[in-house]
Amino acid sequence: MTSSLLHPPAHLPPNVALQLSQQAPTLLQSTPSAISPYSLSSLWSAAESAELWMTYENLMLSCLRTGDEQSAHQCLERLTARFGADNERLMALRGLFQEAVATDDAALKQVLEEYDTILKKDSSNIPITKRRIALLKSLKKTTEAITALNQFLDSSPSDAEAWAELADLYASQGMYPQSIFALEEVLLITPYAWNIHARLGEILYMAAISGEAGSEKYLAESIRRFCRSIELCDDYLRGYYGLKLTTARLLTGRSQPSRQAKSDSALATPDSKTLERLNETATAKLSEIVRRSVAGEAGWEGFTKSEVIAAKALLETDAVKISR
Amino acid sequence: MAQVPVQTIHRDPQLFYWILIPITLVMILTGVLRHYATVLMASAPKRQDMPTLREQRSLMRGINLRANANAISPASFQARKDYLVNAYESGAFLKEPEKKGQGAPNPMTDPAAMEGMMGMMKGNMAMIVPQTLIMGWINAFFSGFVIIRLPFPLTIKFKSMLQAGVATRDMDPQWMSSISWYVLCIFGLQSVFNYLLGSDNAASQMAQQMGSMGPGAGAQMFGPGVDPDKQFQGEAENLAVLAHQYTLEGVEDRILNTVRV
Repeated sequence: MTSSLLHPPAHLPPNVALQLSQQAPTLLQSTPSAISPYSLSSLWSAAESAELWMTYENLMLSCLRTGDEQSAHQCLERLTARFGADNERLMALRGLFQEAVATDDAALKQVLEEYDTILKKDSSNIPITKRRIALLKSLKKTTEAITALNQFLDSSPSDAEAWAELADLYASQGMYPQSIFALEEVLLITPYAWNIHARLGEILYMAAISGEAGSEKYLAESIRRFCRSIELCDDYLRGYYGLKLTTARLLTGRSQPSRQAKSDSALATPDSKTLERLNETATAKLSEIVRRSVAGEAGWEGFTKSEVIAAKALLETDAVKISR
Repeated sequence: MAQVPVQTIHRDPQLFYWILIPITLVMILTGVLRHYATVLMASAPKRQDMPTLREQRSLMRGINLRANANAISPASFQARKDYLVNAYESGAFLKEPEKKGQGAPNPMTDPAAMEGMMGMMKGNMAMIVPQTLIMGWINAFFSGFVIIRLPFPLTIKFKSMLQAGVATRDMDPQWMSSISWYVLCIFGLQSVFNYLLGSDNAASQMAQQMGSMGPGAGAQMFGPGVDPDKQFQGEAENLAVLAHQYTLEGVEDRILNTVRV
């Protein structure tokens, strides 16, 4: 029952989060309200486990998502009773709680001021620094968030999460080269993360269609990123989707055979034959995935519904173009 | 065939109640006490301030770049390499840039290093002090008692192990002295502590010994007595000579060859 509560609930679909938070009252009742590490009773009662506290934390996040603020508060209280109010992680959790219950921007600004005072006292408080950046982002102060993130990354450049966040912020501002740089940093930390490869492919594609200089170079690299993501993860829907999109674009845009002098450092664009074969493979694979996952075949259920729908739409527009 | 006569010794049954049980009980109780004393004495892991963190993580970044350089394009790699090598050589990431080139600080004068050693000392003390006290107590009160007879035969070699403190030459090695019982308790109560205190308890000395063996390579890397400037220079050199290969080269052909629809 609680096994899904042991993982951070960031990517749970809404119905699962709701289901989890509905278990909260029973779960909170079934566990003792206070556990002290030094009591005699710990000799015969079950020992406290790290899982319990993890459950509390994730339960709190799920509850905040579904609006069960009472249970969330109870989780927070118990965590505070165990770890003390000046624990860094708990400070961030409390800030998160306050952000969630804030009703308007004024209340959020107050939370932001609290973060600032905490950071003035102790600038090495990483959870609070991250919360502050997230709050700046949700207050739509993107430039400030980017500045703060850059500051944070200067002192902690091995933080993949922060680099990924920075890449998203830059992409939202249309600063694609910076975003690409940040995603490359993420890849340097986690070189086999296929979702990051695909994400980098997407950003490269966006940079290419935004009409910046060297769009063909971006497209070529984008294709290769998607290929790599497929290489790392079989039947990766996002990778095939991107591969189809980029190869199609490069094929249609390939009318003028202007082979500009390439710099030696960049890889050459694949030739048309390879591109066509890649496109065919991607199309075939996408239709297979769509067909099988819509039919609900065994082993093909894991795909996100919205992504399957998007892939279907892409295939349909393609089919319309051909029939014309 | 000559039968070896079974040695019988008439013992007061009270020996059992007044030596065997007290020793066992005391050993268990001290184990529990030691666990809680260690928990109480343990100092929280020291927080590192931002400059130290920056120094360590910047070095990590260089190591990551070196290990995973294949994931990024040659141009991106070149840019990062130039930047990092430059910064490493100029000491831009050092915690104390003005101390560049002075060598490692003496770990004995560094208060941060002293604190780590104190922690280790405390752990060892929590082992040694009770052990010494109980040994003394047993020596003073129970030395020279033969308390139980093991229900299985043993060879003569076990005599020195099982009959410590009882200097009789002809006694069968099955008989066990009180001090030997104590030694057996030290090593044999592991599972009792696991049952009482959970598996990660501080009472078991096996864990203590493993802990003092060295907390791993991570601490070694940034431990006291290591000159960060030297590490940076070494890493800069490693980066400078690295031959870069791009994973994405030819990936489209690999895909076409492997993916079968």
